[in-house]
Parts: sequence; structure tokens; C-alpha cells
Amino acid sequence: MSTGDWMRRVAPPPSSTDCAAASRVSPADVEVIQRVLEGEAGAFDVLVSRHQQAIFRLSYRMTRNVEDARDIAQDAFVQAFRSLGSFRRQASFLTWLYRIAMNLCLNHLQATTHEDPAEVDARVPDDREDSLTALLMDERDRALTAAIAALPPHQRATLTLRVHQGLSHREIAEVLGCAEGTAKANYFHAVRALRRKLAALTETE
Amino acid sequence: MRECETIREWLLAEEDERAPEAQRRLAAHLAACPECAREARLLREVVTRTRALPVPEPPAAFWVEFGESVRRRLAAVPPPHPRLWASAWRWCRGLGGPWRVPALAAATALGLLLAFGVVRSHRALREAPPADALALAEDLGIGQNLDVLENFDLLENFDLLERLDLLRRLDGSAAAG
Repeated sequence: MSTGDWMRRVAPPPSSTDCAAASRVSPADVEVIQRVLEGEAGAFDVLVSRHQQAIFRLSYRMTRNVEDARDIAQDAFVQAFRSLGSFRRQASFLTWLYRIAMNLCLNHLQATTHEDPAEVDARVPDDREDSLTALLMDERDRALTAAIAALPPHQRATLTLRVHQGLSHREIAEVLGCAEGTAKANYFHAVRALRRKLAALTETE
Repeated sequence: MRECETIREWLLAEEDERAPEAQRRLAAHLAACPECAREARLLREVVTRTRALPVPEPPAAFWVEFGESVRRRLAAVPPPHPRLWASAWRWCRGLGGPWRVPALAAATALGLLLAFGVVRSHRALREAPPADALALAEDLGIGQNLDVLENFDLLENFDLLERLDLLRRLDGSAAAG
């Protein structure tokens, strides 16, 4: 798959977050889930097309690679379909999907670390990213991207869920299966690390 | 300095997570402390820049292929069904206000009764003696009533006596006739 053409088209900076509003309980999702569970398996398409971009972006921000992000997003939907019967409807479907996708991302990162330590040691996302995308970033963005990629996976996950997906610390804890305090601590450490990087860059300028 | 540490912790929390009093204290501190003001500016920049980092925006064709691939994979997966516990939980949640408590109480009572019945029948089955033991117990019972057996002849004789009595009566009535 050649992604060069469309990799140049970059999403405009979101005014707030990707899907903070969508992360809340959507009655429409619940209705579709009910239809799927009553035997109308094709209705699951509605959920896929409704949430595919959010899941793809989440996966991309974690992996910094289009093919990996696409595969993880597809796996997340297949896994969600399999486990739909156990979905508890007091939670948001999208938050539940985030949980599935994030677990897959963390497993993927762990496997990558295990398979190729050299690649992880480098921790330079631009190596795996389309170079055209990198060109679109200024120096600070590149430094910031590298700093995010160097964060421990759970901190990166927390930062992504908080800053891009607009989840609260409680929702992040639910997605990552940890205590709310842990989610807060991870976010604080991540932001502090990025701040140090940005401050160092400012001082050298 | 202690105040600066507190303020820097607050800076990491989102604005809507801070109490109004904390928000006022924070604003007053930032106006007076250039170091913390710089920290606040940097943190804001981190979040703003991170949020604005570019992500790929695939064209429609990518999503068509994406959807088809997911559909192909789902075709090989058995359709999902609601789990029993999930359905029960939804049923409980779906109950209206005044009926919730009595319905849950009735369900709990029914559950307890069923559990009690199961435990009792299990215990009864476990305590039930095997067929051999029953036969042995019967034999023992008869053995314990040996005195009846010992007098069995006598009982037979009683029968004879009864018959003799009857014969005598018949004999008597015949003679009278």
C-alpha cells in the first residue's frame, strides 16, 4: 500500500480533541449493539464506520506506523465483535473499543521491543514514519514527537488518551485497567518529560 | 517555595478539575511568580503542540478497503450472543423504580430457595445408604426380632387353634341340627 500521497494530507489541528464528545455514552451505539446481538451481524458495519477513524488515529499515535495502526484497528473491531455479548452498557462503547485497541497497541509495542531492541533504542519515530509527514513538522514538533515515542508505553498511552481522545483520568484508568491515581501519575510524568524536552529546546534557541 | 510546588502540581491538572478556590489561588500566584508563569506557559505549549501533532488522514479508498477487510474477517467469526450474566444485569438495571426492590428481593429469595433445595437434595443423596446396606439392615432388623421368630410355631398353632375352634362350632351346630 502506498501511503505517500495521502500522508501529506494532515488532519488540521483539532480544536479540542478527536472524540471527547463521542467517548460519552451514545444511545445510537447501544441500539446498533442490540441489533447485532439479536442476530443482525451486518449492523456491526455501522459501528465500524462510526469509530474506525478514532481507533485508527489512536493506534497510529501509539505505533507511529500506518500499516501497524491499520492492522491493530482491524483487530480491535474483530475482537470487539467476538466479545460484544459481554459488553456492559453502562460504559461507553468507544471507551470499551479504546481499551481493546490500547491493549493491542501495548502488546504490539512489547513485541516490537522484544523482537528488535535496536529499533526501540533508537526511539526515533520519524524512521518508521513517512518522511513527507516529518517534513511538515517544524523542529519543535519533531523533538516533541521523538520525546513522546521515548516515553514508556503506559505513559504514552495515558498522554494519547488524555490529550487526543479527551478522556478523563477516571476513563483512562478504565481503559488501561489501572487505578485513577496511577493514570494521573502517568500523565504527570509524561507531561513533565515533554516539558523538559521543550524547555531544553527553548534554551538552545 | 512550598507554594510553588503546590501550584506546579495544580498546573498539571486540567482547568475543569480544579476547585474554584484553587483556580483563584493559582491565578494570583502566576501573576506574582515569573518562574511558575513560565512553567505554566511551557506546560500549555506541551499540551497544545501535542494535540496539534499531525496524523495521517487516509482517503475514502483506504476506508473502503478497511471496511471490506473487517467484513471478510467477521464472516468467519460466529455471531455474538448476549452472555447470561450480562442479560441478567441489564434486566436488573432496566427495572423501573418502584418494582426494582421487590423484584430483586423476590429473585434473591427464589435463588436462596433453589440453593437450599439443591443443598438438601445433595445431602440426602450423599446420606442415602446403598442397596446392599439396606438389605443388611433389613436382615438385622429381623434378627433383632428373633423372639417373634422363636414364637412363630406358636403363632401357627394359634391359627390351628382358631381353625379348631371354628370346626368345633361347626360341629356343634351340626349336632344341634
